Amino acid sequence: MQLNRVLPLSPRHLALVPLAVGINIAMGQFAEATALPVFLDTIGTVLVAALAGPVAAVVTGIVSQTVRTLVSGNSTLLPFVTIQIVVALYAGLAAKVGVFASLGRTAIAGLVLGLLAGTMAWPISLFLFGGVTGGGITVFTATLRTLGLPLNLAVFISSLTNDLLDKTLTFLLIRAVLTSLPQRMAARFPLAQRALGRAG
Amino acid sequence: MIRYIQGNGILHRAHPFTPFTLAGAVVVLAFALPAPIGPLVLCSLMILLPVIEGVGVIVRTAGLLALPFWIFLFGIHGWLGGDPLTALKVAARLTSLIFVFLTVVVSVHPGRFVDALVARGVPFSLVYLLSATLQAVPRLGRRAETILDAQRCRGLRVRGSPLRRARALVPLALPLVLGSLAEVDERSVALEVRGAGSTARPTPLDPPPDTPYDRIARWGLAALVALALVLRIAL
Repeated sequence: MQLNRVLPLSPRHLALVPLAVGINIAMGQFAEATALPVFLDTIGTVLVAALAGPVAAVVTGIVSQTVRTLVSGNSTLLPFVTIQIVVALYAGLAAKVGVFASLGRTAIAGLVLGLLAGTMAWPISLFLFGGVTGGGITVFTATLRTLGLPLNLAVFISSLTNDLLDKTLTFLLIRAVLTSLPQRMAARFPLAQRALGRAG
Repeated sequence: MIRYIQGNGILHRAHPFTPFTLAGAVVVLAFALPAPIGPLVLCSLMILLPVIEGVGVIVRTAGLLALPFWIFLFGIHGWLGGDPLTALKVAARLTSLIFVFLTVVVSVHPGRFVDALVARGVPFSLVYLLSATLQAVPRLGRRAETILDAQRCRGLRVRGSPLRRARALVPLALPLVLGSLAEVDERSVALEVRGAGSTARPTPLDPPPDTPYDRIARWGLAALVALALVLRIAL
């Protein structure tokens, strides 16, 4: 059953999206606890892409970045909604071709996404915010500037490094989730099997 | 996490769309006004905004959010780049955005905002996504804290080499994600039972009044933004 003419989401997917957004934001606490230089703020988006397809994932990404901005009051997060959309579309495609079938393929797909996200994020950071977006990534940018690198290169390298690590870890964690899904739960999300390369 | 603060200021009493229009206008003005004077004047006004609105308690929070940007911008552009004017310009813009967004978020009651959306005929699914997400975020945040404490009690070490720390993410992420997925069934049944599938327009219980003053304010802000953009292009 389709809910309405605007959002082509079933009740199951509509129930999934708010929880996925909550996961996107709550994962930040784990990243902080482990002191890893990652955000892990797209885990819910990638999860929805693997379980429900790219449309629900794009909705998750947009809602996630909007709500993150609202609950943190940090409006500099909002322009990065474009990265969430790219992650959602890429993850949807990756899940469709079954990249989560093996650890190696998952890691490579994560690295490619990191490359894509990093390449897209640095101009936003540089041109809108002068290369300063707060947090560890800016400390890295400042360190590279101290070493004499030009600002645009410093922002690009720090953005890319962060995204390569972040998106690879995100993809590996999603693979761990997909392979751990109890059978009953997996049956509710047939696309999960396709993402693991177990169904045509 | 930023929450609604009770009050009786202009933004609290206004139709919920008016404060958000103000925030949108400030975003455009911060980039359209001639720098560095324009963003600096805007920044000064926005720092005063929470005080005028009666939510002065957020000045400290907003200041703490903005402070790292000032430090890093002056470090990177001023000290290392020899261009303090760029640092001043960008810092003033970002501070304006942080102050206006924080003031608006603490001044608009989420329930009133949802009612305003429903009254305007925004589809149920969009309204549900927004309201359900605003409820889910703090709940999952608390669950993440519980999981972290529980796993630490069981001996999980979240410090050490980067590889060890990355591995520690698995026993933290799995309970959070699988626990959330277990809720999906119950929620989707509840949605269907409560008529979420209907395309009929729901009636808001207590829609906030959209007064002529609100409409004038919104059109005024739109005109101000248009004027700033025209001047920016012309000059």
